[in-house]
Amino acid sequence: MDKKGLEEDIRARRVKRNILTYMIVIPLIPLFLAVGISFYYFTTALENSSTHSLKRIVGDHRDMIESFLLERKSDLELVANLFDFESISRNQVIDDMFEILKIKSGAFIDLGLFDSRGLHVRYSGQYQLTGKLYKDEFWFREVMEKGRYISDVFLGYRNVPHFIIAVKKGAGEDAWILRATIDTLFFDRMVSGVRIGRSGEAYILNNNGIAQTGRRSGGVNVMEEAPEFSAFPSSDSPIHTFLKSDPQGIKYLYATTWLKDLDWLLVVRQEKKDAFRFFYYALYASLVIVALGIAIIVGMSFFMTEKLFKRMEQLGRDKKDLGNQLIRATQLAEVGEMAAGFAHEINNPLQIIKSEHALMASIFEDLSENKKIDPKDEEILELEDSLSQIALQVSRCSDITRAILKFGRKNETRVQLLYPGEQIPEILKMIEQRASVEGIAVFQNIPEDLSGFMGDASQFQQVMLNLFNNAIDAIKEQHPDAGGRLDVQAFLKDEKWIEIRVTDNGAGIHPEHIEKVFSPFFTTKPVGKGTGLGLSVCYGIIESFAGTMDVTSRVNDGTTFIITLPKADTENQIQ
Amino acid sequence: MEKMKLMLVEDEERYLQTTAKLLKKRRIKVVTAQSGAQALDLLKTHDVHVVILDIKMPGMDGFKTLKAIKTLYPPVEVIFLTGHATMDSAIEGLQSGAFDYVMKPADIDDIVTKAYEAFEKRQRLDEKIRGLTSGSKMDAHNDK
Repeated sequence: MDKKGLEEDIRARRVKRNILTYMIVIPLIPLFLAVGISFYYFTTALENSSTHSLKRIVGDHRDMIESFLLERKSDLELVANLFDFESISRNQVIDDMFEILKIKSGAFIDLGLFDSRGLHVRYSGQYQLTGKLYKDEFWFREVMEKGRYISDVFLGYRNVPHFIIAVKKGAGEDAWILRATIDTLFFDRMVSGVRIGRSGEAYILNNNGIAQTGRRSGGVNVMEEAPEFSAFPSSDSPIHTFLKSDPQGIKYLYATTWLKDLDWLLVVRQEKKDAFRFFYYALYASLVIVALGIAIIVGMSFFMTEKLFKRMEQLGRDKKDLGNQLIRATQLAEVGEMAAGFAHEINNPLQIIKSEHALMASIFEDLSENKKIDPKDEEILELEDSLSQIALQVSRCSDITRAILKFGRKNETRVQLLYPGEQIPEILKMIEQRASVEGIAVFQNIPEDLSGFMGDASQFQQVMLNLFNNAIDAIKEQHPDAGGRLDVQAFLKDEKWIEIRVTDNGAGIHPEHIEKVFSPFFTTKPVGKGTGLGLSVCYGIIESFAGTMDVTSRVNDGTTFIITLPKADTENQIQ
Repeated sequence: MEKMKLMLVEDEERYLQTTAKLLKKRRIKVVTAQSGAQALDLLKTHDVHVVILDIKMPGMDGFKTLKAIKTLYPPVEVIFLTGHATMDSAIEGLQSGAFDYVMKPADIDDIVTKAYEAFEKRQRLDEKIRGLTSGSKMDAHNDK
């Protein structure tokens, strides 16, 4: 027994574990799938949009820088076209030109005129450069060759980082060059002025990776070589994006593009963390959702499993109870059978005792007739008294055996056509006596010509008697002496159904009991008073007649039992 | 006028004896049998009007005996003793041609009363038969 209990315990725990596992794992699959897939698509979209916006910024910025440089070049061309070499060579003219240029843009810091030999003829600006020879300078050779030129940033004679824009006019010996210097600071500010998020910055490198503008975050100053340039992936696309770590290990998202007509590379970069911050928000949100989901699922699973298990245990207990009840019912049936057997056996001796008594009584009569005994004699009287006692006790015994036989009889049903108008009054007669003793008024309203139904007479009798007896018990509880009332009605409910109603004004049934009144072994009577089988048997009988049984009740007000029976199809019935 | 002749069929010997004594005291002729077979045997030699028959008997039970009596000696009326309180066995007995039944443990007076009723029915039948055979009608004469 103990071992069995232990085994069951282990099995129950295993079942519990399995249920819990399934309850946790199964809902997690769709959760992970949903979160995973949406995370994937969402982040892909985010990444694309981040990259795309960086690309757009780089493109816009490039266009702006290009148009700036183009404008400066045009400014220079304009003033070069306004004057010729002689007129510029005149004193002060170069200053006037420079003024015009400065009005055009604040980026110009000086202006110089050179002849074809590279001699700095005229100069307007803050440096002393007049008379210097530029014949061998790279920019000079370039501009002589190409007609116009924008230089990289260089130090030159002034030893300050700057770059120049130069245009050539004329040809051969008469060629002259107008050269303007662009304020690197101004240009620097313009280039690095772009703001993207928290860490976005822009700068320009030449094709050797030398910085043309400084990097806001530091690390690369003007004219220094940018260390990461060598590792830039080459690309043919106008705008190229890639991820790279800097020496500190911070990942950056880069977007690069070459400036038209120049070997300058515009670089825009943003810390990956910053560029993809929405991506991280999405990641955190997803993680939070997943964590919450897991917590909820696990919590609910534990809760539900516990609940389910309690229910299962309850069901197990109920099953055991039912099993026990079944055993009890079987025992009861066996006891019934046995009792019937006993009653049968006892009937015979009772029969004999009865006949012996009759014989003795008749012998006594004979003796007193023949004056052999004195009927007035004390002892004779006592004997006669004893005899009548015997008769009384035998009849008591026979009442008992008859009752037992009635109860424990085999259920051989004989279905026949029964008429409520005949049956019910007959059954009511059986309880009339008892009802009147208890002070209960019995009313019946049953039309004599009411249609019949198919059923077993003695079973129907059992049902009605049970209902009447219950009603009397309930009335006794509520009205111990008088004022009780029992109503029995029968009528045609519709063309298919007969309804029988048994109404009492008794104690009623508590709402929490009303569900159970037809359950086997349910009884509110004290132990030993009721088996709890009565109404369940009635219910079964009415069901076997293809009918239904229902009950309505109000505490302290009374109860109505409603029996609905199918009306017999009398046309095809053979009575 | 003919006297009523009863036959008691019961497996309980003592009951037979005592009941027979009681019936004799009431001037009723009585034959006793302890089984169905014995009853049928005795019927061959005894002219009995009414048989009081126990249903529960070892061997040939009451129903079988009843059927045999009714087949072999149709005029003999049978009253049976039943321990069952249900109507089933009573109905079965009556359908098999019994005159009536008495519930066990039976009262001697009940038995006698019902036996006389059966006897009277038998008498009337005999009268009718006699009337038919002799061609003259006679009033039924009850001697009680």
